[in-house]
Amino acid sequence: MSSETSIKDSSPSLPSWQLFALAGLVGATIVVFVSRGQSPAAIILLSLVVFAAAAVGAAALRTLVPFVRGHEGLSVAIVAGRARGAIDREKTLVLRSIKELEFDHAMGKLSDQDFAEMGLRLRTRAAGLMRQLDAGAEYSTQIEQELARRLAEAGIAAVPRTDRFCTQCGAAAARSARFCGQCGQPLETA
Amino acid sequence: MASLGYYLLLTAFVVCAYAAAISVAGARRRSRALIESGIGAFYLLAAIMAVASAVIVYSFVVGDYSIKYVQRYSDSVQPLFYRLTSYWGGLDGSIMFWVSLLSVFGSAAIYVNRERHRELIPYVVTVISVVEMFFLFLMIVHNNPFQTFLTESPTDGTGLNPLLQNFYMAIHPPTMYLGFVGLTIPYAFGMAALITGYLDDSWLRAVRRWTMISWLFLSIGLGLGMIWAYEELGWGGYWMWDPVENAGLLPWFTATAFLHSVMVQERRGMLRVWNVSLVITTFFLTIFGTFMTRSGVVQSVHAFGDDPELARMFTAFMITTVVVSFGFVIYRLPLLRARNELDSWLSREAAFMVNNWILLFSAFFVLFATMFPTLSEAVRGERLTVGPPFFNQWMLPIGLTLLLLTGIGPLLAWRKSTVENLRDSFLIPVTLGVVTAVAVAALGVRVWTSGICFALSAFVCGTIGQEFWRGARVRQRATGTDVFTALVGLVARNKRRYGGYVVHLGMVLIFFGFAGEGFKQKEEAQLKPGQQVKVGSFVVRHDALSITDDGQKQMITAHVTVLRDGKPFAEMYPAKWIFRKHEESPTTEVAIHRGFAQDVYLVLATFDAATQTASIAVDINPLVNWVWMGFGLLALGIGIALLPDAVFSFATAPVPANAATAVLIFLAVVLSQGVALAQDTIPAIFRSPLERQVAGEIMCNCGGCRLSVNDCGMMNCHGKSGQMGKIQQYIAEGKDHDAILATFVREHGGYDVLMQPPNRGFNRVAWLLPYVVAIVALLGVGATARRWSRRQAPAPSAAPIDRELDARLEDELRNLD
Repeated sequence: MSSETSIKDSSPSLPSWQLFALAGLVGATIVVFVSRGQSPAAIILLSLVVFAAAAVGAAALRTLVPFVRGHEGLSVAIVAGRARGAIDREKTLVLRSIKELEFDHAMGKLSDQDFAEMGLRLRTRAAGLMRQLDAGAEYSTQIEQELARRLAEAGIAAVPRTDRFCTQCGAAAARSARFCGQCGQPLETA
Repeated sequence: MASLGYYLLLTAFVVCAYAAAISVAGARRRSRALIESGIGAFYLLAAIMAVASAVIVYSFVVGDYSIKYVQRYSDSVQPLFYRLTSYWGGLDGSIMFWVSLLSVFGSAAIYVNRERHRELIPYVVTVISVVEMFFLFLMIVHNNPFQTFLTESPTDGTGLNPLLQNFYMAIHPPTMYLGFVGLTIPYAFGMAALITGYLDDSWLRAVRRWTMISWLFLSIGLGLGMIWAYEELGWGGYWMWDPVENAGLLPWFTATAFLHSVMVQERRGMLRVWNVSLVITTFFLTIFGTFMTRSGVVQSVHAFGDDPELARMFTAFMITTVVVSFGFVIYRLPLLRARNELDSWLSREAAFMVNNWILLFSAFFVLFATMFPTLSEAVRGERLTVGPPFFNQWMLPIGLTLLLLTGIGPLLAWRKSTVENLRDSFLIPVTLGVVTAVAVAALGVRVWTSGICFALSAFVCGTIGQEFWRGARVRQRATGTDVFTALVGLVARNKRRYGGYVVHLGMVLIFFGFAGEGFKQKEEAQLKPGQQVKVGSFVVRHDALSITDDGQKQMITAHVTVLRDGKPFAEMYPAKWIFRKHEESPTTEVAIHRGFAQDVYLVLATFDAATQTASIAVDINPLVNWVWMGFGLLALGIGIALLPDAVFSFATAPVPANAATAVLIFLAVVLSQGVALAQDTIPAIFRSPLERQVAGEIMCNCGGCRLSVNDCGMMNCHGKSGQMGKIQQYIAEGKDHDAILATFVREHGGYDVLMQPPNRGFNRVAWLLPYVVAIVALLGVGATARRWSRRQAPAPSAAPIDRELDARLEDELRNLD
């Protein structure tokens, strides 16, 4: 009865485990009736066995369902751009180091001269990384490209993309953008 | 039920194989369905193992003695609690319990990380499944806990080893296993990262919490083991460098090293190869520890007997693990290249490197010394004993150095510290240390190692206090709040660092407790009712002996009154319990009167029911309880570090797992009654200094304790009294120290009667190799550090940075908090 609906239900597989929990409860109740005369500890353990068995059922279903559900189309291809992530991560590291440096200096562990010198070196590095990040394509553009590629693979013609430009500085802006990424000028919404 | 259990194990093996295979296939074909199915199969495994566990525990509870394992480790008179814990009382059940825990722990880790680290998950499933497959295979072909008697089955069981029927021993193995099992998770993620090649820091972030949790369990497991040894074995100490204890300690060292060096990678992106190797080593050591203790390679109290077949299977698994794991590390070396640069020798990075050097050296030394008897047997065909004196001699300086580093490290800045500023930072802690040292010396403390330990403890406390105080001041200035709020804010902002400091404080307490060892007093006396013996400032009076029986065991209890400075101090009841079916090994029920300054520790050694005479061993153990409190503090520190980011309030700090112990310590009840009996103080059994010295160097040959004649816990043990008699006889014959040892070696026919291998011939390796390794490793660390510090980029000329970029940088820095 409800098992049918639960498996086919497209909402994130909520009811199936409830069904098994129910089965566990029913089974445990039966066990309690059948095993009258045994010690309470034994009855509790038998009920646990039944519950665990219900969990086995739920997990078995969880093992098999992905094949029925037709997840096939969804691949776990990871969007390229790890290199960019690495630069981002490095930038965060350098920024953290600056923070730490300031804290250490405030704690009196660093001389002013060392602090100035290392701070400068770190800031130069951070600035360099930020410039590198600016030069690279933005995430939204990357996503657009990835989307176009996949649509092309699937044989669907990509919706022609109408690029917009900022009225003040002339930089290209994504369709969804409400402000210019370069100068902050508000863009009229399409 | 037995066959059901066995089929469950077989199913589990099949499911495991399926999970491993389907996950690899899914990852290679990039098929979500296959990967999801693999994850499902992993959950299924956990569920199956839960059923199997419930089945075996049920068999224990109802007393199904047709199952061999149940028959061997329980009986009908055993209390329910110990019947439940009999599950992990023996080898077969332990393996099954291990697999169950690993599947549950693994499922949790996979559930939490399945979206965030989607690319790693399939291989994580594979790695954990393969490890579990090995243990399931062991159970199916060799150690099946569900094996039944073929013909008639006995009507009652043999019963769990009485020594294991102790509360701490009941909860010690699960804690220890949780630690061991937990360390498989970082390994699985590390391997997944190596296999997939996604070797940025994301896998480290995934395993950070798991490592901390496992480390906590491992530490508490070690602590519980120590409490058990202290309370149950009755030799007055808590750590005797038994191979089983060492097996737990080895991964603890490497996991500690990993927890420290991981910070260097997070902050500086350095030490990547090193970290992944540490994770692999730690996992390897957990398996190796199991191997060492379970295959009987090293003789030990706990080892479950000689078993060459098991040893072979373990060896094959370990070799495969090492070859595959490090093979992947070598294969991925190009991806693991990191920008290593060291700004200065006086930096926290350098301190971390030294810390790693010393921790790894500790692990190496303990491993080497534990395996040395086996090594010597293989090379020379001569079995030796490497006993506690050898370990203590070595580990003492190592431990003190580690304690010193604990104080120095936090005072250094990341990247570079300046000498002038260091003077400022070190002023207060060093002053504290020196003042303590002078005070200790002025008070006439005769044990210099303990004195150094006290001074170092004060130094580390000074460091930690100063870190908290100065940090709070800095934050107070920045935020303009009161000191307390600033302190809370400080801890909240960097929970791991300040949680770590609390853990350090816990370690200081533990070391403080260790230092108390130096002031131990130990006496033994044969007392009739009314007689008393004086130990230190305590007088111990034997009042009466009572014999009772509760069906499971016979209990012989001595009623003892302890007086201090003439005033009644405590009533204590040391006992011997003789369990049915285990009459040959009565358990010693120690009576302990706990206190901050010292424990009074009484053991009923031998008794004579007819004359009511009892031979009582009295130990005065100073500062022991600080060790247990240290473990409590350690748990608290990890709790702080683990607090979730969103909620931070001290109200939600988890209760440390050791709280119960700490509370127990505080609840030591003083029952005082002045009973006027005819008193006559008799001297403790007199032993000359030479006799004590020799007894500390000769092994007791009772076959189980691996302790010196001085320390063997079984006081009425035939081995001990025999050896003691011989020592006394030789002394009476006028032999000197060396002659007595030589006689023992000759009579015994081997050097293993001595607690330490003699320093000559091949044995010199035991004494020399650790030095050599330590020095070579230190040189290696030094050379690496030199190379890295030379690679330093030249300081940039104060080139003007683009003003707009500068503003953005400031912006981002503000947002980072």
